[in-house]
Amino acid sequence: MGKKMFVLAALAMCLVIALPLAAGGSSDSGAKTKAVLTMGSWRADDVTGWTNLLTEYKKTTGVEIQFKPINPPDYNATLRLQLESGTGPDLMFARSYDTGAELYKLGYFADVSALKGLKENFTEGNRSPWMTKDGKSFAIPLFAVVQSVYYNKDIFAKLGLKIPTTWEEFLAACETIKKAGITPIANGLAEEWDINECFMMGILPSFTGGRSGRLSYEAGKTPFNDANMVKAFQAMADVAKYCPRGFEALTYNDSNALFATGQAAMYADGSWTLDTFKNVGFKWGNFAFPSPAGSKAAITFHADAGLTMNAKTKYPAEAKAFLEWLCTPAGATIAAKYLPNGFYPMINANIKIEDAHSAELYALIQGKDQDIRFTWPRLMSGDPSGYVLMNQGVISVMKGQITAKAAADNFAAGLAKWYKP
Amino acid sequence: MRRSAFKGNLTMKKNPFASYSWYLYLFPALFFYLIFMAWPLADSIRLSLYSASALAGRTFIGFDNYIRLFTDTETAARFWGAFRNTWYFFFIHMVVQNVLAISFAFMLTEKTMKYSRIYQTIIFLPVTLAILVTGYLWKLILNPQWGAIAQLFMKMDIEKAIQPWLGDAKYALTAVALVSSWQWVGIPTMMFFAGLQNISEELLEAADIAGATKWQKIWYIKLPLIKPVIGIVSILTFVNNFNAFDVVFSMENANGAPQYATDLIGTLFYRVGIAGQHPVGIPNPGLGAAIATSTFFMLMIGVIAILRMTRNEK
Repeated sequence: MGKKMFVLAALAMCLVIALPLAAGGSSDSGAKTKAVLTMGSWRADDVTGWTNLLTEYKKTTGVEIQFKPINPPDYNATLRLQLESGTGPDLMFARSYDTGAELYKLGYFADVSALKGLKENFTEGNRSPWMTKDGKSFAIPLFAVVQSVYYNKDIFAKLGLKIPTTWEEFLAACETIKKAGITPIANGLAEEWDINECFMMGILPSFTGGRSGRLSYEAGKTPFNDANMVKAFQAMADVAKYCPRGFEALTYNDSNALFATGQAAMYADGSWTLDTFKNVGFKWGNFAFPSPAGSKAAITFHADAGLTMNAKTKYPAEAKAFLEWLCTPAGATIAAKYLPNGFYPMINANIKIEDAHSAELYALIQGKDQDIRFTWPRLMSGDPSGYVLMNQGVISVMKGQITAKAAADNFAAGLAKWYKP
Repeated sequence: MRRSAFKGNLTMKKNPFASYSWYLYLFPALFFYLIFMAWPLADSIRLSLYSASALAGRTFIGFDNYIRLFTDTETAARFWGAFRNTWYFFFIHMVVQNVLAISFAFMLTEKTMKYSRIYQTIIFLPVTLAILVTGYLWKLILNPQWGAIAQLFMKMDIEKAIQPWLGDAKYALTAVALVSSWQWVGIPTMMFFAGLQNISEELLEAADIAGATKWQKIWYIKLPLIKPVIGIVSILTFVNNFNAFDVVFSMENANGAPQYATDLIGTLFYRVGIAGQHPVGIPNPGLGAAIATSTFFMLMIGVIAILRMTRNEK
């Protein structure tokens, strides 16, 4: 009797354990009758925008595409699982560089090099994040973000300040603001990534000669600790005294709050924060990171997301048509209208942006040399990565622990361990 | 278990298997232990001998992960840095958390102590809160711009004393360890409290009659008698500290900011083996498993050492 009960209990237990396994397999049963495509994405916040955009697309073409986003931190892993099991979406967001290129090499992403409009309407710089080393495109550029300075127009007006056009003017403005008893710059160091990605890699293109300058470093023609790199680290050391009290322990949200409450006059951040300051009680705007006197102005227009199609999609023609539509200025304009503010199409055309703040920010990139964040293309895959080296260098110079020269030397020495031009 | 075996022997003498029927009671626990503890442990030791990447698949590479972990300057520096920090973290817990706990326990078991229950509740309260919440709250309290301590110092007109406690490598790890001690002090307090209450009254009365002072009673009677409890508390502190991750993650970040000053074995393992270094985010499970396995053996040695030191000779 006891044994029987035990066997029953054991069986029940096995069943309970096995149940989730069975449940996992029965999702995703695509409709076979009419073409309904799915799109995978990590922008779970933008469901409304994308749904509206895809409805708009359906009105003109009759093709239905369903937006099926995944929680951002899980996107890479989930997409990989879907693709491996053959249940991947027809269209999907593609990460730039190595992360995306790997999925192309595994045969999941289609080769989109021959798409109409891709080569014509996008610069090589904007296409390259989604290109393999042998020049094949595995995704079209979808949107990018801008690094710039948010500034409080009211404080600038009160102190009679103009938008600085050179780095020297920028420091002078900081000094004036500080003398007036206001914190000049809201940035902090606690979370580490923001000072590196938003500030250091925001000013870098202007200090190191933009895209061609970066390519020269990467090709080994310019040493990673040249005078320009030292100057950039020095620039970060110089702004430290204009950061808030205790900036070493201030987080990204603290910085946001300092600017949003008008306690700090400027804030180096990405365009994705644009909507955060929608309802603040003062006038604000953006200006590009000024370049040091005598250098050409360049701006970080960082490739964030690409869009690609599944190599094994059941609807290759429809998927291709959608990608090609996004490669036209008309398609990109409609896309820009529905995308959240601060995420800009990368097409080589001056797209009309409706939101005033967003348009002001978008205008900053026009006519300037644009480049991706410095370490992204080539300096990420080793240990220590260029990103980590730069991050630690910036933090150390801002805390006054090492000189800018030492930071640049550490950067070069760390990369020399593994980086081959 | 003992009782069931005993009963089985009495009632079902004829069945030779009956005396082992108590194994059945072990089975559910054993089953879950094997599936969820022993097997993953063995598998992660196995994983540490493999290189795992999606393109290459799992390839056996022998001890390469360990060689890299201990000889590659960059990786070894991170590992030994985290190792040192973890020991410091453990040291603070032993000195602050456990000494406070034992003092609290002595106070709470004092006969003249009033409202002992209320104090017990207060001391135990932080344990019931999630570390992600308390970590965040302490981060706010220590914030140099609008934190409570900064405000207090401003009111007292000693603005100079406001430091970026969590952003300065000098203070960060101590601050995090103190918060963690504050959070968990209730558990060792309760264990010491229970241990002290088990000491028989006669013993202490006899000591009183013999004219022992309060300190002598603590030193020669109470402390020796709760030595096994001290051992258990030390082991729990040791194991929990070498697995600590959440308090650093909630108060600093997975990099052990500032400048790896709060990088513990737990955060290093998370960064290398699970999440991957921001922003690339491609983890190296093999190397992560090597870190975990090394930690496992260190823990084992440590636990055995503590057990030997605090075991009561029979």
